Amino acid sequence: MIAEIITTLIFLASLWLIFSEKLNRTIVGMAGAVLIVGLGKLLHFYDESQATAAIDFNTLGLLLGMMILVALLEPTGFFQFLAVWAGRFSRGRPVWLLVLLGTITTVVSMFLPNVTTVVMIAPVTILISEILGINPTPYLMAEALLSDTGGVATLVGDPPNVLIASAAGFSFNDFLTHSLPIVVIVWLLALLQIRYLFRRELKVLPSNAKAVLQLDPVESLEDWKTARRVLIVLAGAILMFFLQSLLKITPAFIALSAAAVALVWVQPNLQEILRHIEWSVLLFFTALFVMVGGLDAAGVLTSVISALDWLNGIPPVLFGVILIWLVAGLSAVVDNVPITIAFIPVIQGLGAHGMEVHPLWWALVFGAGFGGNGTIIGSTANIVVATLSERTRTPITSALWNKRGLPVMLATCTVASVLYILVYPLLSR
Amino acid sequence: MINNCMKRNVFSIPSTATIRQAASLVVDRHIGLVPVVDPHGKLIGIVRLSDLLSLELPDFFNLLPDLDFVHDFGAVETTRPMPEEIDRPVTTIMQPAVSVVETCGLLRAYALMLKHNLNDLPIVSEENVLVGIASRVDIGAAVLTAWESIEMSRP
Repeated sequence: MIAEIITTLIFLASLWLIFSEKLNRTIVGMAGAVLIVGLGKLLHFYDESQATAAIDFNTLGLLLGMMILVALLEPTGFFQFLAVWAGRFSRGRPVWLLVLLGTITTVVSMFLPNVTTVVMIAPVTILISEILGINPTPYLMAEALLSDTGGVATLVGDPPNVLIASAAGFSFNDFLTHSLPIVVIVWLLALLQIRYLFRRELKVLPSNAKAVLQLDPVESLEDWKTARRVLIVLAGAILMFFLQSLLKITPAFIALSAAAVALVWVQPNLQEILRHIEWSVLLFFTALFVMVGGLDAAGVLTSVISALDWLNGIPPVLFGVILIWLVAGLSAVVDNVPITIAFIPVIQGLGAHGMEVHPLWWALVFGAGFGGNGTIIGSTANIVVATLSERTRTPITSALWNKRGLPVMLATCTVASVLYILVYPLLSR
Repeated sequence: MINNCMKRNVFSIPSTATIRQAASLVVDRHIGLVPVVDPHGKLIGIVRLSDLLSLELPDFFNLLPDLDFVHDFGAVETTRPMPEEIDRPVTTIMQPAVSVVETCGLLRAYALMLKHNLNDLPIVSEENVLVGIASRVDIGAAVLTAWESIEMSRP
């Protein structure tokens, strides 16, 4: 009982420190994880080997592999090439520019991390807007909102998906059959909504549309040889993801194999590449796994789940919709990774109690994914776009996000809930 | 020493001036650096040509590592700063003063300019009163003059 209470207190204090952003989240995570393991050893409920077993190496391996591929692709100018091409192809027509940049950001961020995609495409967006003499805000916000939305569609699109897939045993194809169709509809509506919310800004015709035709996409590509090699490897990896269930291999193995092949083929300066890996993210995930493992070992999760026993009385569809909105609301104000990691064992426990949890996993996917659109701090992509815009003459403020981003989050969650109810029987499989 | 190559006729502005006034001094006198002085003529800061022009440079200039693929700056070429922006006090864009005293050696003066990325260097008296200014060319040419006295070595 004492173990349960103290572990819960450590976990809640860590979450509070992470959410209030008083301390760096990775530092909090490491300290919390070490505290829980120490406590576990003292009270004999948790030890080092259990902590190591609690770490989900499938998630870490997949993230590391994809991070290496991105680190190789980033300096080649490939992302810049795509954005410059979009600017040129749009011929300076605002709505075309919005659709093209939004689509490119979405498609890329379905397979690569949202943050990298946005970090690379947003500066070119500002360039295109400035030479056209128009306000970059609609395009920047559309990129963040649509990349968050598109990331929900695939297993590798967003870290919560990786976590959920690993916990629920979902394959890459499960995401294509269950999540992608819903995301396509939600995404289209989000695009239309952004078009409507920014109708005034998009009506302003560029004073100098000819200038974008002088942009040279090929010249913006720094290193085509490397880009081509990494893209071929990436395409191979995506193909392997499709065949994942058939070949009975984990996504982590595919991503790490792809990273190894790319490293051998490109032979980059390894120190330089490793500097681009987000070690703090990997450490943060590891720390959270160890903490949640400690909660489980202390018996906290069992208590939480028996306390939630009354939920069995609620119709499962309604429970799923409530979960979408609960997770979305939380994800809008805080990082969706700790939320997902905290919800996973609860859903697993409900499953062990006999509840039908398959649809609940998808509710968690949708809530964590679409919720991030709600506020300027809801997702890392939003934070990145806002920070970049602060270095321009037209900064995106929190108030502006609440006026233009929050409606998108509410609409996407509403549409997702309606679709969730409609296709509920299909989500159970 | 630097006082042999500096220009003694130096144009400066008071700290009460606006950015607009600094800009017109640059235009009228064709100079690359405007020293800012207090009522006693003491140097309190500098405004470089690049500090003024950064008000007009586009935002993407600082965000992109390479601009060679942008062949036409389009609307940027005709975008001017807002009037309220250039009517602000010059002290809002003023940089901390970098200066040397009259007795400073030429190579030290040149090295300071390189390190601080300056094209002109203000020269002050011991009391920090602005007395002159020297450009990279003034200093560089003065240094190279000494080379003329280097004898050709004979085998």
